[in-house]
Amino acid sequence: MMINPMISFDIASWPPGLMMILAAFAVPWIPHVARQIWMLAAIALSAWGLSSGAGVHAVWQVMGLELVLYRADNLTFPFALIFHIAAALNVIYSWHDRKWSEHMASLSYAGAAIAAVHAGDLITLFIWWEATAITSVFLILAAGTDRAQRAAMRYLLFQVLSGVLLLAGAAVIASHSGEIGFGKMAFDGPDALGVWLVFIAFGIKAAFPFLNGWLQDAYPEATATGTVALSAFTTKLAIYALARGFAGTDMLIWIGAAMTALPVFFAVIENDLRRVLAFSLNNQLGFMVVAVGIGSELALNGAVAHAFVHILYKALLFMSMGAVLHQVGTIKASALGGLYRQMPFTMVCCIIGAMSISAFPLFSGFVAKSLTMSALGDTGIVWAYLVLLFASAGVLEHSGIKIPYFAFFAHPSGHQTGEAPIGMRVAMGIAALLCVGIGVFPAPLYAILPYAVDYHPYDVSHVTGQLQLLIFAMLAFIFLIRMKWYPPEIPSVVLNSDWFYRWLAPRVGRPLLGAVMGVWAVFLRMLVWYRDMGWAVLDRVMHAPISGPTVPGRAVMVQALLLSLLLVLGYLLLG
Amino acid sequence: MDEQKTALQRLGSRFTAILLAIAAVLVVLEFIFHRHGEVAAEDFPLFPALFGFLAFLFIVQVGKWLRVMIMRDEDYYDD
Repeated sequence: MMINPMISFDIASWPPGLMMILAAFAVPWIPHVARQIWMLAAIALSAWGLSSGAGVHAVWQVMGLELVLYRADNLTFPFALIFHIAAALNVIYSWHDRKWSEHMASLSYAGAAIAAVHAGDLITLFIWWEATAITSVFLILAAGTDRAQRAAMRYLLFQVLSGVLLLAGAAVIASHSGEIGFGKMAFDGPDALGVWLVFIAFGIKAAFPFLNGWLQDAYPEATATGTVALSAFTTKLAIYALARGFAGTDMLIWIGAAMTALPVFFAVIENDLRRVLAFSLNNQLGFMVVAVGIGSELALNGAVAHAFVHILYKALLFMSMGAVLHQVGTIKASALGGLYRQMPFTMVCCIIGAMSISAFPLFSGFVAKSLTMSALGDTGIVWAYLVLLFASAGVLEHSGIKIPYFAFFAHPSGHQTGEAPIGMRVAMGIAALLCVGIGVFPAPLYAILPYAVDYHPYDVSHVTGQLQLLIFAMLAFIFLIRMKWYPPEIPSVVLNSDWFYRWLAPRVGRPLLGAVMGVWAVFLRMLVWYRDMGWAVLDRVMHAPISGPTVPGRAVMVQALLLSLLLVLGYLLLG
Repeated sequence: MDEQKTALQRLGSRFTAILLAIAAVLVVLEFIFHRHGEVAAEDFPLFPALFGFLAFLFIVQVGKWLRVMIMRDEDYYDD
């Protein structure tokens, strides 16, 4: 049924997320605690809109375009559900924060991401795609430091670039077929250019290799609460978009495999623990991208399940590190350690997140990642399987061991502190319960995946195989620590693909720009010189004519010239 | 500080002992049950254990090399 949303007051047919964006405008005027309840209510109301079920629920005819504002199906629902849960967790986690600005940004950002998931056409997708960029940048700016401000601008540049490419791609596609519907796309066809543009737009937000600099650059600069919100939406929206448009694209297996493996090495040596998590986020996206690239029903289930549980455990890890940052004031591994006595609850939650992301049996990562690994095994692409297995050991290294070890154990750092505010602890507790709950009872998660599932992660082969991998990798860690071969934490910065535009571009670009501007200035000076010459000649002619009277002004002279020219042209054309 | 340090060391030793025990159980189980992997290579006895152990060492070693190449002072970007 098609309903014009402009006249409809039935909230269930509103695009989910829109309610949250509207509610965000009231956030500045609502006093502190009431504001949190208001936001939770808005999220609940938006989630209620999901009850409309599958189908197209809102279409807007505008300027000859048919904008599908609300399309729901098996693929949108799991993303919509987890986005609502993540939004609610953010509200609880930031309960202590009395300033309205971040709450407003966070609520509208989540709303925009949810609305984007329900966009049925490329133009609507573009609008919400950009909205996530513009709202989320305030979460980075809210940190209030010069560093954060510069990172925020670099972040915005990339996010907007992604949006512009999406719009350009949509325009190319629309100009060929007149169709702007967002569905499966093919690289071979008259729209190839448009499809490539859309693919790169998605690739920026999904943090493909070399397009990923913004992620590790900007996310760790946001506030303790802001990074948690950032970690959930933008990149998983990109995974949704890839699953919708590019399922079964072989190239994605290569790209995804590179994404799983490369960040692993960077994460080992990174000192900022939230940046370690950003590298880890990139690695996790790789698993999902590989799954989308395989494109089988099992693989797509794997991609969606992975995105679902990933949002929870990644948020949990960022929340625990945010709690440490909030309490201690730093998140540098070199300045932390020994906090397990002062923040035991945070430590337990962090370890649950760490075990979930490392895919220990009985934790959420295991039941999701097994789907992807089985699907990859079915394809027979052994190299990719081994790369992902290798990356699994990498996940254990940086997220499973490094994060909890350097924050809570390692060596005493001498910080005197206590547990985080109650809101932070409640949010971490809920996320931790969900991580374990999904790991122990995967059936409800499997029930909402895009395709019917007949999959049993808990068989002897899976469990013992995975445990062998994890336990022996942990023994390798202990071996390295005992032998004192594990690289020490050093205050430092690790170069990543943002180096090209943060270091190289200014150093090469500025001289280049200077040279171009120099040539331009010379050109302008020449133009001025020719102009002055022209007038000088004109003045000579006026004041010393070869014959006839002198002309009183330049304007008259120019008019006379133009009229003569017209006369000559007239003769030429008529004759 | 010193007292904290010994407490951490004790925690570490206990943790190591537990891990070694689990590892021993896993090795025993490997020869009791028939475990088969997603790809043929995985069927090799103790393949995941060896793969995990070596992958971990490899990752850390490459990380150490990478430090020489891509690690800079904190104020490298000057911002």
